[in-house]
Amino acid sequence: MALDAVTLALVQNRLDHITKQMGWVMTRTARSPIFNHAHDFSCFLTDASGIVVAQADGIPIHTGGGGFAARALLDTFGGDMAADDAFLLSDPYVAGGNHLPDWVIVRPVFCDDQLVALSCIRAHQSDIGGGAAGTYNPEAKEIFHEGIRLPPLRLIEGGKIREDLWQLLMINCRTPHYLDGDLRAMLGATRIGAQQVESHLQDIGLEEGLAYMEGILDHADRRLRAVIADLPDGVYRGEDRFDNDCFEPMDIRICVALTVKGDSLTVDFTGSHAQIQGFKNSSFANTYSSVYMALSSFFDPAIPRNEGTYRNVTIIAPEGTIVNPLPPAPMTMSTVFPACEIIHAVWRALAEADTPNACAGWGKNAFPITSGIGEDGNTFVMYHWFGSSGGGAVDGRDGFPQQGGLNSLCGLHIPNAETFEQLFPIRFVRQELRCDAAGPGKYRGGAGGDYAVEIRAPVQYAFRGEGYSMPTGFGINGGKDGAMGNMTVVPVGADPITPPSYGVRHIAPSRLEMMAPGGGGWGNPLERDPALVLQDVKDGIVSPARARDDYGVVLRGDELDDDATNRHRAAAGK
Amino acid sequence: MSDESGWRIGVDVGGTFTDLVLIDASGATSVFKAPSVPGDPARGVIATLELAAAQFGGTVADILGRCDLFVHGSTIATNTLIECKGAKVGLLTTAGFRDSLEIRRGWRDDVWAHREPNPPVLVPRALRLPVRGRIDADGSEHEALQAEDVTTASEVFEREGVESVAICLFNGFANPDHELACVEALGERWKWVSASSDIAPVIGEYERTSTAVVNAYVGPRTATYLQELNGQLAALGLRRPILLTQNNGGVIPLERIIARPVALLLSGPAAGVGALSFYRQAIGSDNLISMEIGGTSCDAILMHRGDVAVSDEIKVEGYPLALPSVDIHTIGAGGGTIAGVDEAGLLFVGPAGAGAHPGPACYGFGGAEPTVTDALLVLGRLKAGAYAGGAVTLDKALAEAAVGRVVAEPLGIAVDAAALGMIRLLEQHLLHALQRISIQRGHDPRDFTLVAAGGAGPMHGASVGRMLGCRKVYIPRRSGVFCALGMLHTNLRLDFVRTRYGRFDDVAMEDLDTIFRALEDRATGELEASGAPEIEHVREIDLRYTGQSWDVRVPVPGGMPDKAEIRIRFEQEYERLFGHIQPDGVLEMTALRVVGTGILPAVAPEVSPPSTDEPCPTERRSVFLDNGLTDVDVYKGADLKPGHRLTGPALIDEDTTTVLIGPSDALDVDTANNFMIHLSERET
Repeated sequence: MALDAVTLALVQNRLDHITKQMGWVMTRTARSPIFNHAHDFSCFLTDASGIVVAQADGIPIHTGGGGFAARALLDTFGGDMAADDAFLLSDPYVAGGNHLPDWVIVRPVFCDDQLVALSCIRAHQSDIGGGAAGTYNPEAKEIFHEGIRLPPLRLIEGGKIREDLWQLLMINCRTPHYLDGDLRAMLGATRIGAQQVESHLQDIGLEEGLAYMEGILDHADRRLRAVIADLPDGVYRGEDRFDNDCFEPMDIRICVALTVKGDSLTVDFTGSHAQIQGFKNSSFANTYSSVYMALSSFFDPAIPRNEGTYRNVTIIAPEGTIVNPLPPAPMTMSTVFPACEIIHAVWRALAEADTPNACAGWGKNAFPITSGIGEDGNTFVMYHWFGSSGGGAVDGRDGFPQQGGLNSLCGLHIPNAETFEQLFPIRFVRQELRCDAAGPGKYRGGAGGDYAVEIRAPVQYAFRGEGYSMPTGFGINGGKDGAMGNMTVVPVGADPITPPSYGVRHIAPSRLEMMAPGGGGWGNPLERDPALVLQDVKDGIVSPARARDDYGVVLRGDELDDDATNRHRAAAGK
Repeated sequence: MSDESGWRIGVDVGGTFTDLVLIDASGATSVFKAPSVPGDPARGVIATLELAAAQFGGTVADILGRCDLFVHGSTIATNTLIECKGAKVGLLTTAGFRDSLEIRRGWRDDVWAHREPNPPVLVPRALRLPVRGRIDADGSEHEALQAEDVTTASEVFEREGVESVAICLFNGFANPDHELACVEALGERWKWVSASSDIAPVIGEYERTSTAVVNAYVGPRTATYLQELNGQLAALGLRRPILLTQNNGGVIPLERIIARPVALLLSGPAAGVGALSFYRQAIGSDNLISMEIGGTSCDAILMHRGDVAVSDEIKVEGYPLALPSVDIHTIGAGGGTIAGVDEAGLLFVGPAGAGAHPGPACYGFGGAEPTVTDALLVLGRLKAGAYAGGAVTLDKALAEAAVGRVVAEPLGIAVDAAALGMIRLLEQHLLHALQRISIQRGHDPRDFTLVAAGGAGPMHGASVGRMLGCRKVYIPRRSGVFCALGMLHTNLRLDFVRTRYGRFDDVAMEDLDTIFRALEDRATGELEASGAPEIEHVREIDLRYTGQSWDVRVPVPGGMPDKAEIRIRFEQEYERLFGHIQPDGVLEMTALRVVGTGILPAVAPEVSPPSTDEPCPTERRSVFLDNGLTDVDVYKGADLKPGHRLTGPALIDEDTTTVLIGPSDALDVDTANNFMIHLSERET
């Protein structure tokens, strides 16, 4: 069928808008703050074969990954679906999940008795049982320690909730009141999505509707192919690493060989480390999403992000490695680490292929989570976002000073400190930017946080961070790495404790002090505009000594010494 | 000219035109338009007054001498921010917390466009200077203020050429003492001091700092302009100070706002609230959605049961402001919005626009990109020739060339089809914007009447209203001066807030009453000083279920009702917004608010007797509608009188706008002499 160019644009907008409306219903009706506030969910529509056609911009690390769940569901139930059914699944090994806390609700959409689409939501639940409250168990060594595993399940049959199944879910969760409400919100939002797709297909006609869905995928395919074709053919390599497996020091590398051939791309993880003990393995779906996110964040943001976009991308993830582990490896951390490592490795390889557009590394977030009993007698859980790390630079802008994680690309609000002082038994001492932590460059990295807080109650610290024993925000194109972080916990009246990278500790009232990792710089720091270096010195982000040593900029009091700077830069450049 | 007084004048300075609306003592309304003078906006204002004087056969002094109410909507503060022409600002912060302005809570609106830098930080770190001293979360003093730090900072500011000082101390919302001590320690040296506890006493150090800093940044230039304009008008015979439209949709005299010009950043579009309040009388409905479309953008406002939601979370040019502001959803969709085709063959419209210069291709000012206006001209929905009193002349050949080259050729379709596609895509964007301001906020748009306004709104009202599921679309005849007119139908309004956290069950109602009274006294004092003849207060409490991070604002009826009553009201609103309630949920209070209103005498809509004759079209034109070339009756707006009824398809040429109604739609000219479109069932 020949597609009309105007209709194609209208249909694409309409399907995208349907996924946004699903998101409105979700934020308006869900119970737990994680959806209303942190928007840790994504709404998407797939075609009848489970290929993602439209996805509202939720959290970037969900990009394109929902298709794996949709296809796992089709593999299981294929011809055995009815219009009044709804399905639930989560398991990374058998159900295309990215990690266990992200549950997917799917409703089939029928038109003239033909399955035409799936209306889906993937959303992070508040609790799913397992070894630790709140879904993250840094001591997990098997997926069984991480919570309940859900294969594809028929949750609603002929319009009726399967009560026995519902009760099974509720008793496996520490916060059933949230879970009950959140599942109903997901069911409501996917129903809206399904109804809207039906009404769209009625407007446009079934045959046309299916053809235009394909047209949307084809268009996205052409967009990415065009930018890949502009890259020189060749094999480009990149890697990033962990220095621990959550339990002991270890050199764990994620290696990427990126082959550009014409307008196609192969991303080969062969040579990456074997799967590890700790929960920093990446599920198959999360590995794909991480690659998709790395590509989409590297190229023109106007390129769509449906699964057609990535048709020309082949991913090789050998079984038994950290990017495609075998059961029962744990993997709940995967959407943060190694998502970040995969994105960094792909960015490094892309930097070889398209040097001017290279992205420097983002400092990895390393702040702990504390929980305990507050002064009102209630349990509280506090994320120490205030110690967030700095982002990496690109050509034309410095790295963002603090950010809530590369996997959200600055799509997560760091709370106001004043708000947390109202809620928790704490007093903030400091939330500022570090000096000399930003990776030097023509464009420098983000500085990262200098953070201190007093905690008046005994609490459980859950440590889960990278970046305290090596730099994580790598420099690129001659830019330098951002500084690594450090952290100390000082119990009141006792000696300071140096915390582990991963682990759980119970600590009396204490003061937490941390320096968050800095982001990497882009380009030769000797080429940075001396006026910007002077401003950084005045601002206390760069010290005079580092201005001279890293940037070749010599100051005389509050002013630039142009002659000395020129001489120093000329000598340093040799 | 007669010598009666009681006239009202509203002036809205836009990017291209300055609009003046005048209501004389008899209630008759006149409209004047003159080109804006971006370098000196006051000249545009005086120019419109001269036009008015010429029409009334007198001098500007005659006009101003009769004026009791001169309301001004000014973009001066907004332009200062957009053009980065504000003052050099120094900021005092609590030691250890000097960077919230730069950290921006780690957030970016468009995450994927991460190569774009953030908007500039308005105060560099070197001028964000720490002051020792600490207020705790409950408002008590943990560490005394070190006033010598203020003195030291002041010396640095002086040396660095700072013009305006902002203060935002940690927990300053809970206790303003330290900020007040800073103001005192700064002394007489600084003419401009903006303290966060005065301007935005709300929790959240980032948004509060940003608000105080933006105020300090736009303040000097805005105040200078407004005072000069006020002086000029007074010298020309205006007897009372000018009133200004604020972000909250209400007006306030110049001297009350001069220290808080940040409250004027939405001065223009917020006046749409006044327009809705006025037109709802003629429409006979309190449920309205307005879609005001100009050259570059569409502003949507929703009125539910006569109220427009006011929130204190807005962003202007990427800078958050914690100030009570009308809930306006703006998208880049207007007459000057540009269309194109991406490299893989997909049509797009917007969000970029051609601005006033070069403007649409058909203006002949050198614009080469096809705009919405060009598409309408290609389709015959707009007519070639002179517009806006000859300010522009539309050239159809130029429009066809631009649409042809940029859209039709790459897509391999006819020029007409390309133009039609551009309009359909634009109207889809408009539809989505209106769905967002309704559905996302828990309203069903089918229960609302769409009010299509702005120069470009009436062209799209019927089509978008139909897609939205509305049955009626109202088109004010003075659509092109929607906001200027709205300014004349609003009240004085001041919003006061006190942040107060606590379990709602544990707070004593007498304590709340004391706080409410204090806020009301402040409101009353300010409104009385503003000359308000009649004053009303509304009390509100921000409540949430414990553990949540968003509030629901609940009006508290007069006196102090019991907690059960307030809880019921909370649950009703919560149910509407979120579709469920938590019967056992513990309520937490976060803030108390008082909205003080100084009621100005309402102006009733002019009522004209129905005309008995039949309207006559001036021509029958071939126009491209959605289903192809159609013969359409074209009416001259001046020929249409109250009581007239037309059936679509039809076009109405008004002075400042063009109305399009679809096949089978009916249009009535109502007694207020505006247009009510009754939509036919959905077209296929």
